[in-house]
Amino acid sequence: MTRILEAYVGEYASGKSENAVNRAVKLAGENRKVTLVDLDIVEPFYTLRPIKKELAAMGIDVVAWETKETDGLGEAGTIIKPEMRWVLSRPGDVILDIGYGVEGAKTLNLVEDALNDPDLKIYLVINIARPMTMTEEDIWEYALQLSPIHGLINNSHLGDETDLEVIQEGARIVTKVASRLNLPVIATAVDERFADQMDSQDCMGNPIRFLKRFMPKTFW
Amino acid sequence: MTNDIKPVSGEKKVFMTGNEVVAWAALAAGVDIMYGYPITPQNEIMHYWTRMVPKFNKKFLQTEDELSAGFATLGGVLSGKKAFTATAGPGNILMQEPFSMAEMMRIPAVLVVQQRGGPSTATVIYSQQEVTMTCYGGNGEGLRIVYSTAGNQDLYDYTIKAFNTAWKYRFPTFVLGDGYQAKMRESLTIYNPEERGIDLVPATPMVGAPGTPGIHREPNHLRNTYNTEEELFQVIREMVTEYNLIAAEIVECDAQRCEDAEIVLISHGVVSRACLAAVSRLRELGIKAGYFRPITLRPFPETQLRQLAKNAKRLLVVESAEGQLAKLIMQSIYGLTIPMENYFRPGLGITAEEVVSQVENLLVVY
Amino acid sequence: MEVVQPVMPQSWRIESKPHKFCPGCGHGSVLKALGEVIDELKIQDRVIFGCDIGCSLLAWDFFNLDIIQTHHGRTTPVITGIKRARPELIGVAYMGDGGGYAIGSQHLVNAATRNEQVFVLLANNTNYGMTGGQMAPTTLPGQKTETCPYGRDVKETGNPTLGPEMVAAIASEGAYVARGTVANYRQLKKFVKKAMENQLAGNGFSFVEALAGCPTNWRTNAEKTWAFIEQKMPEYFKVGELKIPAGIKEG
Repeated sequence: MTRILEAYVGEYASGKSENAVNRAVKLAGENRKVTLVDLDIVEPFYTLRPIKKELAAMGIDVVAWETKETDGLGEAGTIIKPEMRWVLSRPGDVILDIGYGVEGAKTLNLVEDALNDPDLKIYLVINIARPMTMTEEDIWEYALQLSPIHGLINNSHLGDETDLEVIQEGARIVTKVASRLNLPVIATAVDERFADQMDSQDCMGNPIRFLKRFMPKTFW
Repeated sequence: MTNDIKPVSGEKKVFMTGNEVVAWAALAAGVDIMYGYPITPQNEIMHYWTRMVPKFNKKFLQTEDELSAGFATLGGVLSGKKAFTATAGPGNILMQEPFSMAEMMRIPAVLVVQQRGGPSTATVIYSQQEVTMTCYGGNGEGLRIVYSTAGNQDLYDYTIKAFNTAWKYRFPTFVLGDGYQAKMRESLTIYNPEERGIDLVPATPMVGAPGTPGIHREPNHLRNTYNTEEELFQVIREMVTEYNLIAAEIVECDAQRCEDAEIVLISHGVVSRACLAAVSRLRELGIKAGYFRPITLRPFPETQLRQLAKNAKRLLVVESAEGQLAKLIMQSIYGLTIPMENYFRPGLGITAEEVVSQVENLLVVY
Repeated sequence: MEVVQPVMPQSWRIESKPHKFCPGCGHGSVLKALGEVIDELKIQDRVIFGCDIGCSLLAWDFFNLDIIQTHHGRTTPVITGIKRARPELIGVAYMGDGGGYAIGSQHLVNAATRNEQVFVLLANNTNYGMTGGQMAPTTLPGQKTETCPYGRDVKETGNPTLGPEMVAAIASEGAYVARGTVANYRQLKKFVKKAMENQLAGNGFSFVEALAGCPTNWRTNAEKTWAFIEQKMPEYFKVGELKIPAGIKEG
């Protein structure tokens, strides 16, 4: 079976980590061997560290520091764990959570052979409620800056105040940008609390991925 | 021709992180220039400000340290431009020097502080341990204004207000947040203040006004030294008098369910969210709990607190520090005999559940 | 009999004269050069003058200019802040050797490396005068001060700071760096003028150190004061231009 190699990139707080974690959980649930990698190197916060044990119990191999192993996070803390550099040489699926930063997908240069690997798919996660990625034009410019990317994911929401409208509006805008870029919309990602209110596809016909919320447990 | 695109028009519901909110609020408040230096957990204020600089024709300077960031901010303000800087922890210690100069010289500078664990490097994460320093740091009488925010909407509203307050009353003004608020993701409504009826106080230059000094106008000779003790005493007396006079216009607080309260929970900043939730829960359990939140820590809502302290049976101070808020409270209620308990958790977040437990334990004892 | 008054620069403020500097102090000459240059370049409407803590503080009401007296060592960042916010103004940061090379060195170095468009004018009289004559970064080997009463020992405290050399080494293309002396007023004034023109042209950072006398703390009479400035100081501090933007004539 072909292995799945995916990197999740996007704006700060766009939902990259939540999507990456959920993807890893789903693949592990299908009895696949999965490695999940935490590559947040700009401002270490809201990353995978605190839920490492919980994910490991689900059979996911998490490459991330444990909080107590790091010295003075953000000040004197060690950033890259050496294993991260060679993570693609592991068997099985690899899901990469790429933290934000002005260089975007270039972080992948730190992973040996990542950008050369023909099987690696880089997905851009978009939340249209985030000011820098609200309009079609903004998202288009942003996507161009971050290339290469292979697909878009609509993760539009307003946290606790999310409604169906923002999700569907996101689907519309992201789909428009995707067609301009000649790229697929991989999915619209939605909090599982909306499961009974939505079909398996959004208003533009993209598949829906329901997300279990893991990230709130990772507040430092 | 100026490129004057309004950063925010009308009203919009968005999903942001605290630091970003500060940058957007500064834009909405008409700020021209930010000076800054990197320190966790406030770096995204600069990351977002610099991304927006070209879009909205703003300016930014990253300086060599917080001393320089603070003093350069004073320079920007002196020249008649709305300017601000932001910091945390050890950076806040350095900011006390420039902001002392601002206190003495009535320079309307704004500082945003995202508190982290202290003292020294401690943690980059969170605390409420910079209250004393932000309110009374520097070598003066603390003639400054401090707003303690409790989340994204507050950060937006009070960052805009901070510039208006500073330029109207001419005391340095601080927005006191913390590392949790800085990184917290929640929705809020961003708006154009003038479209909501909030006038923006204009900036005026203290140096570099039009006209040649000595020919068209008197020069402005600004100093912060005095020759005799008597001179200094006069100056401070006048400043204190003015500060006390305007305090009533500036002071803000929120009190809920205190009229019949057996115990009033007092907290500020993000901890007040936990306390508000705790009061709800306690009331469900049949305990008559009340909630008091000072929003301005300077000037402190002394009158309001004294009033409710007269009616309540007991106070419980809840803070992520070892008594920094408690000190401000004790100063305010001096003379009253109401018992005061405390729940001090320096550097640690506080949940509503913990607070409920604390109150239950206290009431068992009593 | 008519008393002949020396001509004061127009940008000087008559109401604050006679000034408060000591008799024989170097600051008077340096500020005269600055005043004359402001007059000649006709920029009195645009110059913002910042002074530091120390004897430079006594210049706080010296000119008919907007003046801001700052904290010790912080004049450079305040003037930088003004210039960044209002580039049409001319920023002059005035300080002594302590304000520039000790507490303010961090700011001097970084303003130079960032090529801030400001003019830092520094009076070097080898001691902290205002506070009673303590050792300064530019105190000469063997020179006695209140905090090196037996004479500066270079083994303990290193050699005098060579400020313009340091700035010239790290400054960018477009910077102007020079060291003048009150013992050669015409040359000092020429350097001050070129520094000011450098900012007006928008080239970059401008820095002039002026060797100046402090007879009060040196405890020297007029003759010995001049000997120190003219003979002793140049043994360590070479007078001349150290960096000139391309295309501008060597002075």
